[in-house]
Amino acid sequence: MKPRWAHYFALLLAAFGASAAPFVPKDDSVILETLPIRAGDPAAAELRRLRAAAAAAPGDPGPAVRLARRYFDMAMAEGDPRYVGYADSALRPWPESAATPAEILVLHGMLRQYRHDFAKAMADFDLALKSDPGNTEARAWRAAILMVQANYTAAREECALLAANATELHATACTAYVDATTGRARAAHETLASALARRNDVEPGFRVWILTRLAEMAWRTGDLATAERHFRAGLALGVDDNFILAAYADFLLERNRAAEVLSLLKSWSRSDTLLLRLALAARSLKLPEGEKHVRALSERFADAALRGEKLHLQEEARFLLDLTGDSRAALAAASENYRTQREPRDALVLLEAALAARDAAAAAPALQWLESTGFEGTRIREIAARVKALGK
Amino acid sequence: MRILFLLLLLTAGSAHAHKPSDSYLAIGVEGAVVRGQWDIALRDLEFAIGLDTDGNGAITWGELRAKRSEIEAYAFSRLKINSDGKTCTTANTEFLVDEHSDGAYAVLRFGADCGAREPAVMEIAYSLFFDLDPTHRGLLRFERAGAVQTGVLSPERPRLAFKAGEASALAQFTDYLREGVWHIWIGFDHILFLVSLLLPSVLILNGRTWNPAERFRDSFWDVFRVVTSFTVAHSITLSLAALSVIALPSRLVESVIALSVVLAALNNLWPVVSGRRWAVAFAFGLVHGFGFASVLADLGLPQGALLLALVGFNIGVEAGQLAIVAAFLPFAYAVRRSWFYRRLLFAGGSAAIALAAAVWFAERVLDMKLWP
Repeated sequence: MKPRWAHYFALLLAAFGASAAPFVPKDDSVILETLPIRAGDPAAAELRRLRAAAAAAPGDPGPAVRLARRYFDMAMAEGDPRYVGYADSALRPWPESAATPAEILVLHGMLRQYRHDFAKAMADFDLALKSDPGNTEARAWRAAILMVQANYTAAREECALLAANATELHATACTAYVDATTGRARAAHETLASALARRNDVEPGFRVWILTRLAEMAWRTGDLATAERHFRAGLALGVDDNFILAAYADFLLERNRAAEVLSLLKSWSRSDTLLLRLALAARSLKLPEGEKHVRALSERFADAALRGEKLHLQEEARFLLDLTGDSRAALAAASENYRTQREPRDALVLLEAALAARDAAAAAPALQWLESTGFEGTRIREIAARVKALGK
Repeated sequence: MRILFLLLLLTAGSAHAHKPSDSYLAIGVEGAVVRGQWDIALRDLEFAIGLDTDGNGAITWGELRAKRSEIEAYAFSRLKINSDGKTCTTANTEFLVDEHSDGAYAVLRFGADCGAREPAVMEIAYSLFFDLDPTHRGLLRFERAGAVQTGVLSPERPRLAFKAGEASALAQFTDYLREGVWHIWIGFDHILFLVSLLLPSVLILNGRTWNPAERFRDSFWDVFRVVTSFTVAHSITLSLAALSVIALPSRLVESVIALSVVLAALNNLWPVVSGRRWAVAFAFGLVHGFGFASVLADLGLPQGALLLALVGFNIGVEAGQLAIVAAFLPFAYAVRRSWFYRRLLFAGGSAAIALAAAVWFAERVLDMKLWP
């Protein structure tokens, strides 16, 4: 099998080669780059204030934590890993040791998980919980990582421990998420939806998160109208959030509503995850910009390969499978991805790649996951059945 | 500060949405002349030194140009190029703009004065943005006399050294030459195809039976024609495929290669073609060339030394082939009259080759069903 690096080899050099045409812009007024925030924006003013405060008190964890947290939130909203680097830099004076305050350890863990270093992130959260056992955030993150690792028993335990210190809605959301992934999506949806309805003071970012999960649960059980309603309610809150956009785009693509994906994501081509959805939509509508997006994605994956990073293998597998049609390379990426990440969509791309490559054996871990969890989902079950039929 | 925390719950592992911060540093050495080009993202420069002077959220060429000397001073105080232990002095030559997949970059072109002699060891020490963003990486492309090496500069590994000759053109040429020889030696299908065509060369077809050749000269020229046409044919397709002029699915190529071996071996047992074996060698040689090309593709071709690598690989393949022919022909000619040669090697060998190749063929075609 041709290794994936060979696939990118030419592009890798082309990352330099393609830029063989640097230019002098024709006049001073040419706009080269548009920044995500303007200097006059309140967000920029807040950042300046936080940076100044951190610089003025170098040994004080308080301002450093506030600055790092602000950067981390920006990374999540915009999906730009630069902010994670800036956050890292703000925390540099504090090593990951027992003497470091819990709030800093939690942030270290969050930055680690962002880079998919799950083992070390878990260790950071553990250390934080040792000095601050009631730290709900460290608990929630542990639950999140355990979910990615498909360790549902342990995740459920974290949710139970969370209930002792967090609000009822937080604990309910945590448990509902585990339940919905282990074959009880309908009940989980009902519980979480009514818990949300009882509260009208939920912070918009958290509301978007809950609505995205609710939409996924409804989608999973085939209640498409309800899923659509949740997605729209979440988007109407006007919070910048990569995850709801990606989930809704996937929903629309599955329903053959590619044109809506184009308008939903038109200003989001900077985000790799969303550019992938834009490319899929443009390709299915046979629009010329589809090929432009595909080229941009290959260049970004080539750069990541050159950096030696494997952070978006799931997207890469999807890209190879649906956009380049290289089912064997896609299967290799999906299998590698599934070794560290086992969320439903990781299983789905593994099954689809295995089906395309007609290799039932490679899909075994995902089939086993589907069997043992009882995960609902019409589409994933349908593909799993076709994969199983290959083996016969 | 805990209001948002569950928003973050379960977003673990799916967040790496953008391209992270990279700069592209290309350094080329030609004799004693060292030149470079450094592409740095405007987003990063904005964060480090501020480019959007009027604060309207858009960086214009005017704003960028006004900051040229500040940018150059900032960047070059974070890059050291050392030649054999001495620091080279850099001089900026051009200031341009380029688009990468994630936005606009400032392009800094420069020359580096490393003395009058060609540097033996070049060391790059890099620390751009590491203080601001420890996840920043410098993607380095080092080119010397057509040979390209790449490397990644990070806070953990901020220095990279390149020795002359480490990947000199000659070394690269020999590398590919060796790969070519190696591929012929481990590529049993190519060897067996060649052997199937060579086996009858010390014999002469008379009606339906093979008789020993009378003169070595005849055998030699027969082999010469077969090997030359095989070589010419696979050189053509190897070059075309390596230069991406033609691409064929590798399953198809591998299957036809196996089939060519079956047919060549069967032709010895039930002769259909005898005088024009060179034409068969040529026709199937075209297919074998695509097979060689896929090996070359897996090795990766250096952009700057494409032709050199291609020629090296080709010559390696020929050298490997010639070694086989040189060992085979005198031996076969010497024993051509024996029962051992005519029954065991010629008939038995051809049958065994046909059988083995038929299995390959089946496997590869079967693979084709499994891997559409």
